[in-house]
Amino acid sequence: MTQETAQLLRLYIVFLPLIFVAGFYCVITTRNLIRTLLGLEILTKAVTLMLALAGYLTGRTAMSQALIITLIVIEVVVIAVAAGVVLNIFRHNNSLDARNIRSLKG
Amino acid sequence: MSWTLVVVPIIAVILLNLPFGEGYRKLAFPAGIFLAVLQSALVLLPIENMFPYGACPLSPFVFLSPDALGLLMILSVGIVVFSALLVGWRMTDKTSRKSDFANLIILAMAGMNGVILSGDLFSLYVFLEIVAVSSFILIAMDKNREALEGSFKYIMLSAVATILILSSISVFLMLTGSTSFSAAAAALKQGNHAAVLASGLFIIGLLIKGGIAPFHGWLPDAYTSAPAGVSIFLAGIVTKTTGIYTIIKLVSYVTGYTGPVKEILLFFGAVSALLGAFAALDQKNFKRMLAYSSISQMGYVIMGLGAGNPLGVMGAAFHLFNHAIFKTQLFVNSAAVEQETGTLNMDRLGGLSDKMPVTGATSVVALLSTAGVPPLSGFWSKLLVIVALWVAGYKIYALIAVFAGVVTLAYLLSMQRRVFFGNISASFSNIKEAGVSFTLPAVLLSTITIAAGVFFPYVFEKLIIPVQALLGLL
Repeated sequence: MTQETAQLLRLYIVFLPLIFVAGFYCVITTRNLIRTLLGLEILTKAVTLMLALAGYLTGRTAMSQALIITLIVIEVVVIAVAAGVVLNIFRHNNSLDARNIRSLKG
Repeated sequence: MSWTLVVVPIIAVILLNLPFGEGYRKLAFPAGIFLAVLQSALVLLPIENMFPYGACPLSPFVFLSPDALGLLMILSVGIVVFSALLVGWRMTDKTSRKSDFANLIILAMAGMNGVILSGDLFSLYVFLEIVAVSSFILIAMDKNREALEGSFKYIMLSAVATILILSSISVFLMLTGSTSFSAAAAALKQGNHAAVLASGLFIIGLLIKGGIAPFHGWLPDAYTSAPAGVSIFLAGIVTKTTGIYTIIKLVSYVTGYTGPVKEILLFFGAVSALLGAFAALDQKNFKRMLAYSSISQMGYVIMGLGAGNPLGVMGAAFHLFNHAIFKTQLFVNSAAVEQETGTLNMDRLGGLSDKMPVTGATSVVALLSTAGVPPLSGFWSKLLVIVALWVAGYKIYALIAVFAGVVTLAYLLSMQRRVFFGNISASFSNIKEAGVSFTLPAVLLSTITIAAGVFFPYVFEKLIIPVQALLGLL
């Protein structure tokens, strides 16, 4: 392992868990639906970074690039649909509070 | 070629959405029915190796030729899509929404075929997401408050599952430099701890997608709030392919039937079987009760898989197929009831059997099969699972399976009594049998249930025995 790789790895080891924790914290604590989606985005970014790191460490950068581009496309589709659903929830409730969407029970 | 199963539906969706006007877009319904029937018919043709491997010229993904369980799943996808399209087309109001519905179902069908045929972890993820996104839109299609809520819950849990699956894929990529099943299996065999963690994350992600307890929170909400045609589709095949079938695939191709994997599967399976059955006991909403029943039945499949012997795997595969048939049947019946009476509250219904004889009678067949009464198909698959658990030495789990079966019979009989038997209330005195879009799939599905039970030796030999090969892959 070269000096450069080691340094990079140390950087990732510090920041990857931080991004994961930030994402999970955001998803769990917030009551705002848009912020929940943002939390999911942060989590996906952490995973994307992990894939990039994996490509760099194994020397298969071309493959990990292909995977990451596919991942980004899919993620955009998911978030677009989720944002559409949130928009419609807002039209019904006039609020983005997650506490207002608890009509289904049992 | 196996890839045609994925590529043809996707091309069909593109062609069906060319801007040639509303009348042209209506072709989505016959096209979907045609693709579904074609898919089932091709599996049933007596040709060896119907879908051989061939490199796909249009995509970088690797599509394997399906194994025995894959064939069974492709057949179930065809049957369920056929029923869901018939019922959903009839029950959707607006014309434009009808073609949206059919297009999304065809797209999800392509995604499910992709899940069944995909040959590496990353393309598995891509096709899982295609199915998931189509389902999000399908659930929310009516844009009423409940549907949006159900869809949002599904989106959230599915996204969390996706994050887990992707982290697992990147760990495997880091360890092996490849996303193929065989590389991941090799990393696991060396006893690498990171690989063990990664496969655990993958399995948990799939348990969430399959709605196995204790990750089942989204499932009853999504099933109940979705439009009737979509509930049939979701309950019949979507969660079963994306969650349960994928677990079987992952365990067979990557982790192998090792001790800890079996323990995890048995535990989650038993919890699901019991919790689903008890939660179904005190439901008032017809569809919600069926959703909990679905969780309970998937517990059986996972337990059969956890037994880890040939009988268990065969039982799991056969129960997965049977569940696709009889649960689709029960959801079709609930759609017929909803269409005619406008309510799914079981306390307000009653005595519908006199007015709707076909729906009432086919519902009896489906419920007896679900509860495992001989000689219907559900009896044989449950018997296989229970015997497999007993033979493998998991006697307590076998007893749990028997007990959950008794509870199943209890809640389903209570459903039948409250909805179809007894006295009819005055407000429903002039309802009549639902149209042919409801009775045709109902009769077809109950015929399959009876036939698969009565001709069990033949079905067993042709379709189920080859599934054993899954155990010897590693």
